Amino acid sequence: MTAGSNGRETRRWGGATLVLPALVLVAVFLMAPLGLILRYSFDKYDPIKLMLGVFSPDNYIQAVSDPFYQNVLGLTAKIAALSTVIVMLLAFPVAYFISRVESQRVRGWLMILTVLPLLLGNAVRSAAWMVVMGTKGVANALMINVGLISEPIKILYTPTAVVIALVSVLLPFAIITLQSVIDSIPTSLEEAGQSLGHSPLRTVLGVVLPLATPGVVAAAAICFALAMNAYATPVLIGGPTMQTMGPVVYGQIAKANNWPFGSTLACILMAVTLILTVLSTRYLGRKYF
Amino acid sequence: MKRRHFIGAGLAVAGAGALGMRPAYSQSKQIVVMNWGGDWNDRTVKHIETPLLEKNGWTIVRELGEQPPRLTKIIAEKRLPRGTVDIVHLGEAEAYTLFSQDALETLDYSKIPNAATMVPSMKRSYFVPWLYSAWELVYNPEKIKDPITAYADMWNPKYAGKIGVMDSNYGNAMQTASIVASGKMDDFAGAKKMLLEWKKAVQPKIYPSHQQAQAAIKSDEIWMMANYRARGLQWAKDGTKCQVVYPKEGGIYQVFGAVMPKRVINKEGAYTYLNALLDPKAMAGLCADNYYTPPTTAVVVPGDVGKMIAFTDKQKSTLHYANQEYWAKNITAWLDWWKKDFLST
Repeated sequence: MTAGSNGRETRRWGGATLVLPALVLVAVFLMAPLGLILRYSFDKYDPIKLMLGVFSPDNYIQAVSDPFYQNVLGLTAKIAALSTVIVMLLAFPVAYFISRVESQRVRGWLMILTVLPLLLGNAVRSAAWMVVMGTKGVANALMINVGLISEPIKILYTPTAVVIALVSVLLPFAIITLQSVIDSIPTSLEEAGQSLGHSPLRTVLGVVLPLATPGVVAAAAICFALAMNAYATPVLIGGPTMQTMGPVVYGQIAKANNWPFGSTLACILMAVTLILTVLSTRYLGRKYF
Repeated sequence: MKRRHFIGAGLAVAGAGALGMRPAYSQSKQIVVMNWGGDWNDRTVKHIETPLLEKNGWTIVRELGEQPPRLTKIIAEKRLPRGTVDIVHLGEAEAYTLFSQDALETLDYSKIPNAATMVPSMKRSYFVPWLYSAWELVYNPEKIKDPITAYADMWNPKYAGKIGVMDSNYGNAMQTASIVASGKMDDFAGAKKMLLEWKKAVQPKIYPSHQQAQAAIKSDEIWMMANYRARGLQWAKDGTKCQVVYPKEGGIYQVFGAVMPKRVINKEGAYTYLNALLDPKAMAGLCADNYYTPPTTAVVVPGDVGKMIAFTDKQKSTLHYANQEYWAKNITAWLDWWKKDFLST
């Protein structure tokens, strides 16, 4: 072994040692609770003892075979997918615009404006949407004033309202992710496209979008996972009658005290989110990367 | 300080915090209290905690929120060597659920002198009753001219689209339906049938909690709902057009109070808190403010409020009391049905 390779080896081990505490922390504080949830999901509920300490697949059979939970999962996935598509359609032009603004100062301000909603909690933003969407809310008052409707319409406590609110929650995440990717695409490529006679729109669609696809996929995956697991928005904007997975998991654990079944639903939600995200990422990856 | 010492100390502090450790404070003057937030907590602070505890040197650490997470936390802490909470405010049914799971201390009433004048039938070994009321009918007399007298009036199709129900009080809603079905509170089959009929006949509007329900009555979105007498009286005091009626089928007794979880650290502080809750002078002010009825004979609420919150002998004789054991065993099934078959279809 040479002195150089020995030095590299030492540095590698030194790096691994430095990373080790972080790995241990992640393993203990992230993986261990997940392992516990997985174990609980095979346990059996008892109203008095809470859990019986058995190992049974009954909860999974019940969750998968019950049409109620099938519908809840289906509705959650539909809302998450629709919100993600809308978010991506809205976020891309905004991210592109911010990325191509020449003045650093203006770009800085635009980024601050984008991030600003994230400084408020989800619950606070949802409460603001409730004021806007209520029967006597701002949206209805506005539509009545301009003569679009004569009687207030029901906006709050509908799936549409949840999609609108989720889009507002997810938009900053998508813009930030996309903007950093578009930033890395040289403007010279767009200039080359335009010099060949492409319109600005065709240049963006034909040059920028394909190059930004990894970023688009990453942003969509983040948004989809967040929307699938959303809690505050469906509870506050969807109301008691609209059931999505986040609130249903919470209800089983915190209201019904049925930890085993709540854990089962949480594991199913995690698995479905992971599978859908991986599948869509691989599909888009194979198609565009 | 060397960098490695600084990092080590930081990790130790973070680790201790993450593991829920805190200094032993059995002799300290700190009491950790879990309670509802909003006006319920505001009044607890105003009438009890500030004048009787904080002004006497006690520090109250408040953890505020809805009731279900409180139950979950106490159940979760049951397995830990030390708890983190001294007092938990709960309804009696929820207290019984914790008691049946062996998560509560058995109370020594000799350390709660203010409980000496408590109505004996209300006393529990695991729960100190504090404020009670009954589940009655609240309606807008300007909109509903016919006299409302019974829970069954809510099933009248004449009021279709104008009746509300709160998701957070699904248990009371199901007990009400059970009473309308068979006069008993634990007729699950009858309650299910009545609720589905109700849904078809009047399409009740469902609200997440009291605040949204009050806003709906205030804006005439709904004209009637079942709720606690105390809530109805509070709403009327706040300017909401509503009147409270005791149902002829008999109201549903509901009592709120406090418990001491197992592995409580500051037991002395917890008993001091429980005794302060029942202080006659403070309770008189509190009940005049929130319209709940006190469980001790030593508390006298003067004037009209005293008359409004008092239960007549006839009312007392018709009150329905929940079978706590049945409730604890079946609450999950009732909630499951409520979510799956009542709310979703």
